[in-house]
Amino acid sequence: MVAQKITIEPVTRIEGHAKVTIRMNEAGKVDHAYLHVNEFRGFEKFCEGRMVFEMPLITPRICGICPVSHHLASAKAGDDILGAPPPRPASLLRELMHMGQVVQSHGMHFFELAGPDLILGFDADPAIRNVVGLLAADPGLTVRAVNLRKWGQEIIRILGGRRIHPNFAIPGGVNKALTKEERAIILAGYDESIETIKIGIKIMYGWAEKNAEDINKFAVLKSGYMGLVNEDDALELYDGKLRLIDSTGMQLEKFDPRNYLDYISEHVENWSYLKFPYYKKMGFPQGVYRVGPLGRLNNSKSITTPLANEELKRFKAINDGKPVENTLHYHTARLVETLYAAEHVKDLLDDADILSKDILNTCHNPKPSGVGVIEAPRGTLIHHYWMTENQQLTKVNLIVSTGHNNWAMSEAVDSVAKTYITGPDVPEGILNRVEAAIRAHDPCLSCSTHAVGQMPIILEVKDSSDKLVKTITRN
Amino acid sequence: MTLLVLGYGNLDRQDDGVAWHVLSQLMQVYGLPEPTSIDVDEYFKEKDIHFLFQLQLLPELAYDLDRYDYAVLIDAHTGAIANEVNVENVIPDFQSSPLTHHLTANSLLAISQQIHQKYPQAILVSIRGYYFTFTQQLSPQTAELVSIAVAKIEDWMNNQKIA
Repeated sequence: MVAQKITIEPVTRIEGHAKVTIRMNEAGKVDHAYLHVNEFRGFEKFCEGRMVFEMPLITPRICGICPVSHHLASAKAGDDILGAPPPRPASLLRELMHMGQVVQSHGMHFFELAGPDLILGFDADPAIRNVVGLLAADPGLTVRAVNLRKWGQEIIRILGGRRIHPNFAIPGGVNKALTKEERAIILAGYDESIETIKIGIKIMYGWAEKNAEDINKFAVLKSGYMGLVNEDDALELYDGKLRLIDSTGMQLEKFDPRNYLDYISEHVENWSYLKFPYYKKMGFPQGVYRVGPLGRLNNSKSITTPLANEELKRFKAINDGKPVENTLHYHTARLVETLYAAEHVKDLLDDADILSKDILNTCHNPKPSGVGVIEAPRGTLIHHYWMTENQQLTKVNLIVSTGHNNWAMSEAVDSVAKTYITGPDVPEGILNRVEAAIRAHDPCLSCSTHAVGQMPIILEVKDSSDKLVKTITRN
Repeated sequence: MTLLVLGYGNLDRQDDGVAWHVLSQLMQVYGLPEPTSIDVDEYFKEKDIHFLFQLQLLPELAYDLDRYDYAVLIDAHTGAIANEVNVENVIPDFQSSPLTHHLTANSLLAISQQIHQKYPQAILVSIRGYYFTFTQQLSPQTAELVSIAVAKIEDWMNNQKIA
């Protein structure tokens, strides 16, 4: 039998896209599947020469989905490089904005991107397995999902003046205090949001129960996990130490994020533009780790809000207290985090300092380089800047969440391909599974450019002489 | 008659941001000031026109689409479409995005239709982009297309008796 190569490629016409190649061996089995990512790195070059104070306004333009994460990571890098730690009220307000971002981003992912897979079923017709199909199937749930996302965005808008590209955090603090009236507007949406998230969690566990077989054979991977935690190893999304555990849950490191270069290195493969970060001391691939909701919950011993903490206990029970390895439980973890973020909004609004006008530290003590780290919805986001004495940037290093999960996404695709392609006849439904393997990580691959057009997914089967044997396409 | 003129793209990626330049020129036709930043969110009250610019299309844009009778969506294209400045009607048709956060104009209208049982009569104006490097300066080829796109939008508006 002739060896085959299968390629799945979303046809974007400029960089920032990915494609999947599945190489078949001569026995008609999957030899290996590769996720090739053309992640852009040019933005770092684009930032060189800019002033450090401009960065919180420039870097959100990297992404239309999670601009707040870049905004805040950039401001934190600015705090560090300028030696201007923000006053406590400013940190609380930044964290409040971040919680809004987590709620709206996670909410959109579960209910509008991944939700259709779960609620309507993996094998539902792709023509209806989307947010429009979901709207038709459960309009009430969809309205709730819309309101949840709006609530998160309203928090961002109130603080940052805009829903998309906020102008709020600046090195040393923020440029706007919260008013009593604004606080009341945010609080008004709290109860419904909590209820909606609880419904989402119920949907997820209900789906998990019915689809246990799928979950337990779908990209179950052994890896390390990384995420921010507080001093008690509780979940942190805005600030803290980076904790790295191995596949058994044992702590490998807990370190100041400023020192990330001492612990993390990046491996290069000739089939992907995106590097593969790994834990330096273990080398590649032994030191690979996952970030994002699954990585963070596996890393956290507790959560500081009561409802989410109870959900964390249920999450931990999935694998008897050991790290949860199932890729599809990214969705579960994402919902638990959403619950935490919503609860934490109320904690922050109840804090006595939240209405304070002490929001900016104008005393600077600059140094040549600074690091800002935040847990973006998709995972650990690192901004590292180097500057001249006149505060002009000479070098910028950005490690984005999707980069940390590069290995995991690629392995997930490989695992799914090997599990579900059992012979030379590639089933049409493999597209659904491959999509789901990648989508579980909520990657942000095309966040640099979005020219007009569809993003069809094309699966090509080629023999060893590169002759096209079969094409499966979905527009 | 309410009209949404929505441009989208990445202004920092050269021709990908051509919609911003079209939007800017169109706003000036109506006497509005040239935008000074990427964030355009302006109303021209006399004609009930809302000018908006976004980095990309997002689902929540559909939540408010019932407010408009008409919509002009403006984006870049990279040559897969034959016309350098292409104008086409947009119909509701959801297109799944397999890997990324990507929403098409057709998908946006489909969401609107499902939420509101209505959607604006819409066109998509796509302008050929040639270069997508990290600059806000359009390539000369694409820059030449900006005024052509503006004229086509004005024609369409005249035909709809909006202008």
